[in-house]
Amino acid sequence: MNAYVKVLLRGSSLLAALLALRLTVFGSVDDAQSFALQAAEPYVKEGFQVREDYWGGDLGAGEKKAVRQQLFKGNEYWFWMGTEVERAKISVHIYDSEGKLAEQPDGWEKGHFAAAHIIPKSTGSYFIIVNIEESPEERTHWALVYGFR
Amino acid sequence: MNPFARYLKLSAVAVSGLTLCAQGAQAPQHIDIKQLSKKVEDVVVPLPNEVFGALNKLGSVNWKEYVRSNKGSNFTERPRIALLLGTVIADGFIAVQAEDAPTVKEIGQRVLALSKGIGVGNSITPHAKAIIEAADKRKWENVRQELDRTQNSVQQAMNEVHDEKLSQLVSLGGWLRGTEVLTAVVTKRFSTDGAELLHQPDLLAYFQMRLQAMPEFDLAIIREIQGALVEVKPLIDVGNAHISPESVKKINEITTRLDYGIVTRD
Repeated sequence: MNAYVKVLLRGSSLLAALLALRLTVFGSVDDAQSFALQAAEPYVKEGFQVREDYWGGDLGAGEKKAVRQQLFKGNEYWFWMGTEVERAKISVHIYDSEGKLAEQPDGWEKGHFAAAHIIPKSTGSYFIIVNIEESPEERTHWALVYGFR
Repeated sequence: MNPFARYLKLSAVAVSGLTLCAQGAQAPQHIDIKQLSKKVEDVVVPLPNEVFGALNKLGSVNWKEYVRSNKGSNFTERPRIALLLGTVIADGFIAVQAEDAPTVKEIGQRVLALSKGIGVGNSITPHAKAIIEAADKRKWENVRQELDRTQNSVQQAMNEVHDEKLSQLVSLGGWLRGTEVLTAVVTKRFSTDGAELLHQPDLLAYFQMRLQAMPEFDLAIIREIQGALVEVKPLIDVGNAHISPESVKKINEITTRLDYGIVTRD
């Protein structure tokens, strides 16, 4: 192997290591959003329009956050949550304005992905509760995207 | 138990285990919303096509009636440009509903010109191009997606330079135009389900709160919108009651008046 190739290989390995480090140490809400969008991907084929706008932040293990959203009767919605912390366990659930669970039973949680589904019975505000149930990190980035059809 | 039956039983246990993993813990059937009030994030303002989609399910709408290709006035005040931009993006969604390619293309150009007017033209150029290309090919789903991306990019670019207030005005402009068209459609063919789509009190309160935090934008149109939202609030904040045909008509008059103020020079 000539010196040029060696330098190139070392450089690439360093770059890969730095990228991995960025994901684990400097992971951001943008990374979490990528995972939330990944969870949404299969639903686009089913006709769901996924919004570009999203919510995000960071939470400690066991912490919850509520997101308020206007939903319209007649539409069907999925909310997808993601985090870049692969060993985290997360969940998302939907409640109506009176605090009653309003989601369909086919929501799911798979490690660092989670999703909740709602066909609103009335037009109005709903609360989407995101939860970092378990995480090896002190703070865990999360992002929530939604789609409708 | 024979080995095959045991294998089946084990598989069933494994599959149900996986399902349980995927389902996760059961969510409580009821939560105390008041306890969460300090932890509530801002709303994401729905796009006009979210409401239009729900309207379409109530019966066919002749969207061509609501298409507007009037370019509107040219403004120099950035808050006015931001409001107009939101309105024009909403017009884009209406033109998509009507599958009106020439209007969509004009709107693409107009969005670009307005974005340049508030200094975020660079981030919008690729989207405007994509809107025009998709309209040429009549790929309406792509146009919808690009309009959403356009609004998002405009707002992100504004937020990056700490112009969040202008970004909120873009959303407000779109919401007002969307509400004007929603009320026009429902007024024409009233239904309680159609009127219920106006039940958006929290969104209205959100805009009121945002406008109150913009004292530096001392413009007649902003004051007019603030006053109008106070008028609209009791008409849509009706709790479990129905929104009446008179209320829908009144909201249409108010939003039509505001829209005229947004697109027209004083």
